[in-house]
Amino acid sequence: MIAAIDIRGVTKVYNPASNQPVKALDNVSLTINDNEFFTLLGPSGCGKTTLLRLIAGFEQVSGGAIMLFDEEIVNLEPNQRPINTVFQHYALFPHMTVADNVAFGLERLRKPRSEIDATVERVLTLVKMKELGDRRPNQLSGGQQQRVALARALAPSPKVLLLDEPLSALDLKLRQAMREELKQLQKETGITFVFVTHDQEEALAMSDRIAVMSNGEVQQIGGPTDIYEHPVNRFVADFIGDTNFLDGEIVSFDDDLVTCRIGVQSMFEAENSGGHSIGDKVTLFLRPEKITLSPPDQASNVKTRPGKVANIVYLGNQTAYTLDMGDGIELTAQARPREDGKLPFAMGDSLAVGFSARALRVLAQ
Amino acid sequence: MNLWLPKSAAGKRWLGLAPSYFIIGIFMLVPMVIMGVFSFLEPNPYGGVKPVGSLAAYVKLFFEYDLEDNLVFNPGYINIIFRSFQLSFGATLLCLVFGFPVAYYITLQPENRRNFYIYLITIPFWTNLLIRTFAWIIILGRGGVIETPLLAAGIIEDSLRMMYTDGAIAIGLTYSYLPLMVLPIYASLEKLDFRLLEAASDLYASRLEVMTKVVIPLCKPGIIAGCILVFIPCLGAFIAPNLLGGGKNLMLGSLVQFQFASARNWPFGAALSMLLLSAVVIMLIFYARAASKRASMEGSD
Repeated sequence: MIAAIDIRGVTKVYNPASNQPVKALDNVSLTINDNEFFTLLGPSGCGKTTLLRLIAGFEQVSGGAIMLFDEEIVNLEPNQRPINTVFQHYALFPHMTVADNVAFGLERLRKPRSEIDATVERVLTLVKMKELGDRRPNQLSGGQQQRVALARALAPSPKVLLLDEPLSALDLKLRQAMREELKQLQKETGITFVFVTHDQEEALAMSDRIAVMSNGEVQQIGGPTDIYEHPVNRFVADFIGDTNFLDGEIVSFDDDLVTCRIGVQSMFEAENSGGHSIGDKVTLFLRPEKITLSPPDQASNVKTRPGKVANIVYLGNQTAYTLDMGDGIELTAQARPREDGKLPFAMGDSLAVGFSARALRVLAQ
Repeated sequence: MNLWLPKSAAGKRWLGLAPSYFIIGIFMLVPMVIMGVFSFLEPNPYGGVKPVGSLAAYVKLFFEYDLEDNLVFNPGYINIIFRSFQLSFGATLLCLVFGFPVAYYITLQPENRRNFYIYLITIPFWTNLLIRTFAWIIILGRGGVIETPLLAAGIIEDSLRMMYTDGAIAIGLTYSYLPLMVLPIYASLEKLDFRLLEAASDLYASRLEVMTKVVIPLCKPGIIAGCILVFIPCLGAFIAPNLLGGGKNLMLGSLVQFQFASARNWPFGAALSMLLLSAVVIMLIFYARAASKRASMEGSD
């Protein structure tokens, strides 16, 4: 695989000379492959936008190197980097028409007029905005401005396209539709997309690979299922999706499973991910959707524990149940509504709570 | 119930606006009409006007009587008007060249410091223009601040003769009206979305192109407003031309002032003022046309 962007030990410190320097990125290394939809995911302030701005050239690195197809680019001005950006608030030029906005980059590259016109038409067609080329940005809706911003960034055929939370200003329906389109666009153009977002759902739905960031460091890099199913630490498990965390201590283990004591006396078995020893303080995590709930008389073949419904949160297609498992342990589980739309369980119901040891994983403390 | 109050909405609106109509009428229209009327009267050699209708003032703009009492073309006043426009244009250009970077620099400062810089820009207005223009005599003049060290260092051997030149007038005008250029440009730059500059450089625009393609087009209203605010008072200025030009390189403003104060030819002064006024009004009409065309092109924003 060819590396489109190679981030090598990049550090970024804001106000280094002042008495309150802010370390936005701390020795970050990651490789973004050619023709990949790569997502930088993390909460606000995690450094993802800083990293994007370093790649674009709007900020200077404090240390480390950034390679674009094996070429060092940290000393290049933004206008010298064959990288284009879709800005969070689009940043369309208000004094130019849609077509002029899209043509801007090509004109600066001194392309011949005929080529510019052809490219502008092609790119505007690609984002379904061909008819609105004569409009001004302030005559467009948010979604349309978003498409123009995309077209403008794609028109010069950059080697890498950076997208800085481009969907965050759109309403939910439009955002979901644009997810599909962006992914489609990436496939069609074959351009490497580097997408910044704090929305884990967006990241899971669109990305080939995701880098989860926190406090200026990369926590984990992997495909959506890797990140979701095998988070390397508590931060990643917590940030992506809903999770039950159980803090305890390993009391015994074999090749397959570790047994942990949670609370005072409850024993939970979890998959042995290796490297554990008796007495280790560990955190187990369990996704709510891996828990099955059934009335106690219909206990299935899976090993179950008794639990009591302590709280109900109705979510429409799902209902989240908080279960009191005794011994100070609470678990959150999900259940679908019944066919008649009624909730399957009520407050205070005693239930058989089932989950396999395979669904429980050990996280490093 | 006040029976004399207007009932209709239009009548009420008129009543609300009446004070401003009154003020505009008393302080703008009436003096202008007086000037207009005076320009068509005959001068009274002892000051003021004689109530006799005459076009002599306007004729004097272009013609004079030779020794045989024939009317001949006299380019003198036309030349003064022409030079006034030239000098005002030069001063406006200098104000733009110096004012734009200043406004841009202030815009780039942290917000709390910007107001302080704007405050500094307005400080010269606190002192009388006459005194500030005198200061330039000390700077530019023979044995002044610029010449003395240069002479002492042997860089020049004789006076540079900077005073009493068109250049000195242009410098004086530029100095006087620079704040009027900085403030409107700053006002429009302040509203500029600086993310657009990043977007432009991301799209391969050089630093110069970011300026010419994005910053300047977007703050054009401020630049035009600044140019108008500088150009118009420059045309009518008489302090800088009199003090720094030595009164021999007359400008329109000093010519008008001379007609009223010394030459006792009020109608001619009034005619010159009317000419100046019509030139300014024509320019403003062109500006308003261009502005409204631009506004309709850019939609409602």
